[in-house]
Amino acid sequence: MSDEPKLTLIGKLFLLLILGACATGAWWAFNRHSAAAPGTASGASVASSSASAIPGPSEAVPSGGNASQATLPGAVGSIEIGVAYGTEKKRWLEWAAEEFPKTAAGRGIQVNLIPLGSIEAAQAITGGDKRIDAWTPAADLYTDTFVREFELKHGRPPISQQEQLALTPMVFVSWGERTQPFMVRYKEMTFKTVGEALKASGGWGGIAQKPEWGFYKFAHTHPSQSNSGLMALLLMAYDFHDKTRGLTMADILDPKFQGWMVDIESSVVEFPNSTGNLMKDMVLKGPSSFDCVLVYESVAIDYLKNAEGRWGTLQVTYPRKNLWSNNPYYVLATPWSDSRRQAAATALMKFLISEPAQKMALTHGFRPGNPAVPILFPESPFTTGQKFGLKVDLNGICESPKGEVIHNLLVGWNNNVRPH
Amino acid sequence: MTLAVQCLNDRTGKGEGRPAFYVMKALFTFQLRIAVFLCLFMVGTLRMAAQNRVELVFAYGSEKEEWINEATAAFNRLGAKTAEGRVIHVQGLPMGSGECMDRVANGSLKANLVSPASGIFIKLANAEVRTRTGKDLVGETENLVLSPVVIAVWKPMAEALGWGSKPVGWSEILSLSKNPDGWGSLQAPQWGQFKLGHTHPEFSNSGLISILAETYAGAGKTAGLSLVDVTRPEVEDFVRGIEGTIVHYGASTGFFGKKMFQQGPGYLSAAVLYENMIIEANSGKYPLPFPVVAIYPKEGTFWSDHPVGVVDAEWNSAEQRRAAKRYVQFLLAPEQQRRALAFGFRPGLVDIPLASPLDKAHGVDPSEPKTTLEVPKPEVIRAVGQLWQKAKKHSRVVLVMDTSGSMNSGGRIENARKGAAQMLRLMKDEDTFSLLAFNARINWAMHSQQLAQGRATAEKTIASLWANGGTALYDAILAAHEDLQKSPDTGKISAVVVLTDGLDTNSKTSLELLMKAIRFDSENNNTRVFTIAYGEDANKAILQQIADATQAKSYSGTPENIESVFKDISTFF
Repeated sequence: MSDEPKLTLIGKLFLLLILGACATGAWWAFNRHSAAAPGTASGASVASSSASAIPGPSEAVPSGGNASQATLPGAVGSIEIGVAYGTEKKRWLEWAAEEFPKTAAGRGIQVNLIPLGSIEAAQAITGGDKRIDAWTPAADLYTDTFVREFELKHGRPPISQQEQLALTPMVFVSWGERTQPFMVRYKEMTFKTVGEALKASGGWGGIAQKPEWGFYKFAHTHPSQSNSGLMALLLMAYDFHDKTRGLTMADILDPKFQGWMVDIESSVVEFPNSTGNLMKDMVLKGPSSFDCVLVYESVAIDYLKNAEGRWGTLQVTYPRKNLWSNNPYYVLATPWSDSRRQAAATALMKFLISEPAQKMALTHGFRPGNPAVPILFPESPFTTGQKFGLKVDLNGICESPKGEVIHNLLVGWNNNVRPH
Repeated sequence: MTLAVQCLNDRTGKGEGRPAFYVMKALFTFQLRIAVFLCLFMVGTLRMAAQNRVELVFAYGSEKEEWINEATAAFNRLGAKTAEGRVIHVQGLPMGSGECMDRVANGSLKANLVSPASGIFIKLANAEVRTRTGKDLVGETENLVLSPVVIAVWKPMAEALGWGSKPVGWSEILSLSKNPDGWGSLQAPQWGQFKLGHTHPEFSNSGLISILAETYAGAGKTAGLSLVDVTRPEVEDFVRGIEGTIVHYGASTGFFGKKMFQQGPGYLSAAVLYENMIIEANSGKYPLPFPVVAIYPKEGTFWSDHPVGVVDAEWNSAEQRRAAKRYVQFLLAPEQQRRALAFGFRPGLVDIPLASPLDKAHGVDPSEPKTTLEVPKPEVIRAVGQLWQKAKKHSRVVLVMDTSGSMNSGGRIENARKGAAQMLRLMKDEDTFSLLAFNARINWAMHSQQLAQGRATAEKTIASLWANGGTALYDAILAAHEDLQKSPDTGKISAVVVLTDGLDTNSKTSLELLMKAIRFDSENNNTRVFTIAYGEDANKAILQQIADATQAKSYSGTPENIESVFKDISTFF
């Protein structure tokens, strides 16, 4: 037998207590490690003090395919719906996705925002993308084609309910410093004068004795990828034929129009795939990148203030002929959608046209679809933005042409304008 | 503890008289067990911690290294988690933009997100990967920060070019470079010839941008550069004229900036750099003889727009992609964007106004650039690269290779041969190559052969080197240097590349005499001596001194890294 001392039960318990304390300490250290980088002594305190710098899981993720989420933790019978949308409404819809679940009607409804271009979204829904329960493109230009193709494939109409959420026209946005000499030279800003500036010999040297400004640079979005790009082509067609309704196939196929349109378009600097990205690029890179762009009025309003702190003021000019982007909202009656999801999508639609949501739309530059919400009041962007050229009353509003007219306009552009 | 000792004594009944011994013994045994237990516990904890983390590899252009380092450390401290509850940990890898995209495109670097200095590299990599896989390597991107590419010029020299009173650009530089009087043509003969630096376009974003801007300026365009433009003789003449003023190339824009600011106007009159580097230089980091200013070429320039995007590859899981987007959001948050401004970058977040240090006091103009250039199509970019190969300043290189007996150890001579062969491969047919092998004696193994004809011979000669004898290092360097200096050719880059693994033991030339003979003089003595201290026995301090005296670069080489050292040196030619 060993004559070494043995531990009593109390001694063992005491030692177990110490071991337990060590384990607890180590577990605490591990948890702390998980909350902070390895080797960071002050990780926990930094995490709490800087947490606001990074959006949480419920916050929006930028466009690129991943959904934004607004969750209602612990909600009984929660349901998830997907909303495909045009990125021009990104900021407003992200706000709505956050706020809607806080309302009585939205309790338990999680909204996944899916950024998709109009054509892309129509194809996804027709192709059976089960994530999408509602769709809100920038305009209803593609709706006829979408409905026709969906019915052909699925044998049923795809839309159960719809509402017009907000309105916005198209605008030319140019740098204030350069707008004035442009107007002195050309008197007005139209597609015709923009086209002349693009072709001006010596660029700005020929336009306003400013060779250091380089060539005149104009851009709009890609007509096959972005609704505002298609709007640009339609406005050119209406402007060329000087009409506001009844745009026909003959008008589109007119060789004079085709030649004129191709002449302008071949000088366009760039055709980005998103209106928001185009406007953001203009503000980030200044006049060196674009002298003038054609975008939605709402997008321009969203960036007017930002530009002031960078390159100076922006000036908004309305084209002679214009088109409304009516931002429709479609509740989809697809074979894979059930009544609960359709009801949830309908509830979101009602929230979006409610007065609080419409007021928020206005702050993001949209003209409310709900007539009960006023546009002009002292804090309205349409009041404060008058110095930038914003105005409420517009002339020369054109009607949406038929699907075949739009289709042929796009075919002509794709065939004759250099692709990017 | 007293209670435990009491219990311990009660149990044995033998503690009386020697309790301290048993207490110590018991405690020792106990502590041993605790130590073992804790070790096991720590291993387990660390394994669990590793399993509980999402690792992201972020490969990015090294121009923004300081900002990314700071921001990434802050992000990692936050302990942000994925929806699956795992902590996101980002590892940043700064490198050249070309290398970054090449390695990710060929799969040798499995990065989760990338941010080269310019969207041009994304465009090129996507075009390459699309031909193989049918899809882009990187999808949508966002600009993290912006910085225009500018020509950094010493303020008095910029004023002589007309800066401040008229728009200045590549055409002014071309006419200065073509004038045999150099700065004398602008009433400043004391400045000698105009000397320009830009990086190697195959390795660095600013180098690629430099040759694209030169080509655009030669073609008189700001957009729509075509394959036809690139083949026009007047465009080639324009590019050749500018490239004729090049001092040497290099892999790193940062190296040029640092050298220019440290060495002064005698080394470089101007260099193609990023705007943020001008701000950094004028912020007191270097003891500048004059301020440096940014010339925004009147013909147009490019934005270094630092696009960041998630890599669409099989090694990037859905969780990692979501985590990468969280990290990008963090970098684009106002707090990080304001810090980027402090580092001299223009923020990618439009909400942040441009303010100090982006101002004239720091040599830059926030209202510039007035004109930017359109990124050409990938096939046109490749054609511009081929044009540069023809029009670039070519090189005369003497490789001075230590073949003393000590090179036999540890595979040194074998790996040195491989490294030299690598450098040879990266040199162009128009370059001239000499090989001077030395031990106690110096031997011209190959002398002044143009590689168009002599490449195969050069390869064989390098492969035939073996080691034996002493080290006449200084004699060898002096002989190589004198050989290039006796027939100076300002139309070529003259360089000696020295590899040695030991101390000089057999030279007749003293170090003092050598230093006097090789010291750089921008007008008469402009051969550069690049040195490689190979292994632990080489005298790094002396080799650094030799390289510094000729405004070149010194490297530490090992058998393991020697190929990459030679590769880096080849970017100077």
